[in-house]
Amino acid sequence: MTPDDEMLMAYADGEIDVLAAKRIERAIAADPSLADKIAAHRALRVQLSAAFAPVLDEPVPPRLSAMISTNVVTFAPTAVRTPPPRRWLSGLAVAASLVAGLGLGAQWQTSTSPVSATASGLVASGNLARQLDTQLASTAGGTRMLASFRDNGGRYCRVFAAQSLDGIACKGSQGWQLRQTNSSATPQDATYRQAASDDAALMAAAQEMIKGEPLDEAGEKRARAAGWR
Amino acid sequence: MSSFETELLALLPRLRRFAQSLSRNAADADDLCQVALEKALNARASWVPGTRMDSWMYRIIRNSWIDIARARVRAAETFVAEEAGAAVTGDDAATVEAGVVRSEIAGAMNTLPVEQREAVALVLIEGMAYKDAAAVLDIPMGTLTSRLVRGRQALMTVLGEAA
Repeated sequence: MTPDDEMLMAYADGEIDVLAAKRIERAIAADPSLADKIAAHRALRVQLSAAFAPVLDEPVPPRLSAMISTNVVTFAPTAVRTPPPRRWLSGLAVAASLVAGLGLGAQWQTSTSPVSATASGLVASGNLARQLDTQLASTAGGTRMLASFRDNGGRYCRVFAAQSLDGIACKGSQGWQLRQTNSSATPQDATYRQAASDDAALMAAAQEMIKGEPLDEAGEKRARAAGWR
Repeated sequence: MSSFETELLALLPRLRRFAQSLSRNAADADDLCQVALEKALNARASWVPGTRMDSWMYRIIRNSWIDIARARVRAAETFVAEEAGAAVTGDDAATVEAGVVRSEIAGAMNTLPVEQREAVALVLIEGMAYKDAAAVLDIPMGTLTSRLVRGRQALMTVLGEAA
């Protein structure tokens, strides 16, 4: 039996069972030119894998890695591709509506509402306020901290994505004042929410506000220890 | 970050390599990765933890590549019809120029029909076993091996002539 090229290829790739391999080895003994064909298949594999191997050592373009790890904020302009039409509403209407919706009566001041109204505007409250105080960007959780930075006024600001609300909050005398808000994905897919484009829009807004570089983890820890002041 | 994101991030270099072995050039390859990542992030609920994420991502990249290629063919057909072939020369010139920059091997890969190129990329460049590559491409093993052997023979011929 003379093995065909497909069998020789499978033999060269180690994709053949022991019995078939024995048959091929017997065939090679009878016809040494078959060994050259097997060697050619192996040489081609080496040639191809060597040609593309350097790609593994190339730095991954930030626009790709940023899609996945929004925690590693580059603020590179290329990371923000044509933000989709946003639901940014003037006067923080979204957050206000959240206050209105959740805060019928006086409950909202003490309830789990993420937003409270104060004399100086809307501030984060409840869990959201606690998370802004304590959670580092590297921590996984229901609320993601996308980035932390100082704004032009020297105040610490944090970009967050919670279940019902995304936004940017800056630490002022009244607490975490909401600067940008955006109602999040619908509840049923909130768990799996990874809306890169929403994050990109927030990052674009953050880029307008930032002074200097975003905080790294050590910087966040220092700011947290100082109460974000 | 969740384990999904950690694993996906770790896969990125291999995904870029796969995209480069399919695409005409490095810029196209990263665009392909971007399209595929968008799809993957939107479809992350369909990934079953504990299963091979590389196979899942290779399939998304491959399907995205097919979609992009089809769209490009449609666009090219429209273009040629409207411009009465005037643009064809320009296309050729661009292709030749890109070919000079591109490595000889990548150029040889580009001469292969789509179904041979993807088989060669998965097995010879990504190092997948036949059965795993067949699963990614959703074809029987026999189909995979026949495409693979034809792709290899064609590459040996092209690279042999160039040498």
